[in-house]
Amino acid sequence: MALTDQAFIQYSRQILLADVGEHGQNIFSQSHVLIIGVGGLGNLAAQYLAAAGVGQITLVDGDTIERSNLPRQLLFSVEDLGSNKAQVAAEKLMQAYPDSHINSLQHYLTLDNAPEIFNARQQFSLLLDCSDNFSTRQLINQLAIEHQVTLVSASAANFQGQLLSVNQQLRPDTGCYHCLYPSDMGVSQSCQTVGVLGPMVGTLASMQALMSLNLLLSLNAKADQRQVSGRQTQVDDQPLLGQLYRFDGAKFTWRQAKLTRDPDCLVCSA
Amino acid sequence: MINILLNDEAVTVAVGTSLTQVLERQTIALNGVALVLNAEVVPRSRWSHIMCQHDDKLEVFSVVAGG
Repeated sequence: MALTDQAFIQYSRQILLADVGEHGQNIFSQSHVLIIGVGGLGNLAAQYLAAAGVGQITLVDGDTIERSNLPRQLLFSVEDLGSNKAQVAAEKLMQAYPDSHINSLQHYLTLDNAPEIFNARQQFSLLLDCSDNFSTRQLINQLAIEHQVTLVSASAANFQGQLLSVNQQLRPDTGCYHCLYPSDMGVSQSCQTVGVLGPMVGTLASMQALMSLNLLLSLNAKADQRQVSGRQTQVDDQPLLGQLYRFDGAKFTWRQAKLTRDPDCLVCSA
Repeated sequence: MINILLNDEAVTVAVGTSLTQVLERQTIALNGVALVLNAEVVPRSRWSHIMCQHDDKLEVFSVVAGG
């Protein structure tokens, strides 16, 4: 599909990239990204994806905007206090980026309401975990596996940030979120208990958005190749899938590790 | 005895020490951390089966769930 003149100008800096081009811009515009959680991570990740021309984004959050959110949830202002996060973010993003259609689901994700989100009418290109608690992260991982969606999970608290992406169909050897963090783990770090600086969350959200755009391009390129060759192949040239990145925002160090499937995992090996 | 690095600090352990035993000797709660051995995540179910080797680099860290 040819880009309009206006779109060509608006997205010219990313179209200039050899890995994007007009083809990549079309991939963005035809993508639908599901974002669970519209706090510090979801605010900025959603904004970057909408600004890049991702055609459809669904935001899910039942939380309301509080004054303590404002230092890191930059789409929100004092006038928004008390309103639903997904609703306000959707309204503001659609006003700023009319190429992107933003749906808002104004409730928390639960096992009971998941079928409303993951139904036959919705095909998600990516699922972004921008939630703020461990049990929701486990549920998101389970749903990503059930519905065969690539999961891009980011988190931040205090001066620690973590980022990973997994896909059971393309890289079963690298396992899932539960292989890394079994659900019986003790969790001590949340923003409410240990605090966080706005740019710390913003760094992880930016990396999550950057990883997501890269994955949209590479996963689509791989799907095209599979259509041509007519066979399902394991993706061994996806350098981002199956990697864990950890950022220390006080020491400014990044560490990378390859994820590994747990043969006893109750979620992906069951 | 062999030398390993645990979160960038040199630690000496006996030959045949498992990853589980390393954590226990450091009084690290096993259900509170994840573990990377030489840039590869080791799932918790494998810790007791893997013995430390000389110059192993172990990284032990907590889950971060905020956002």
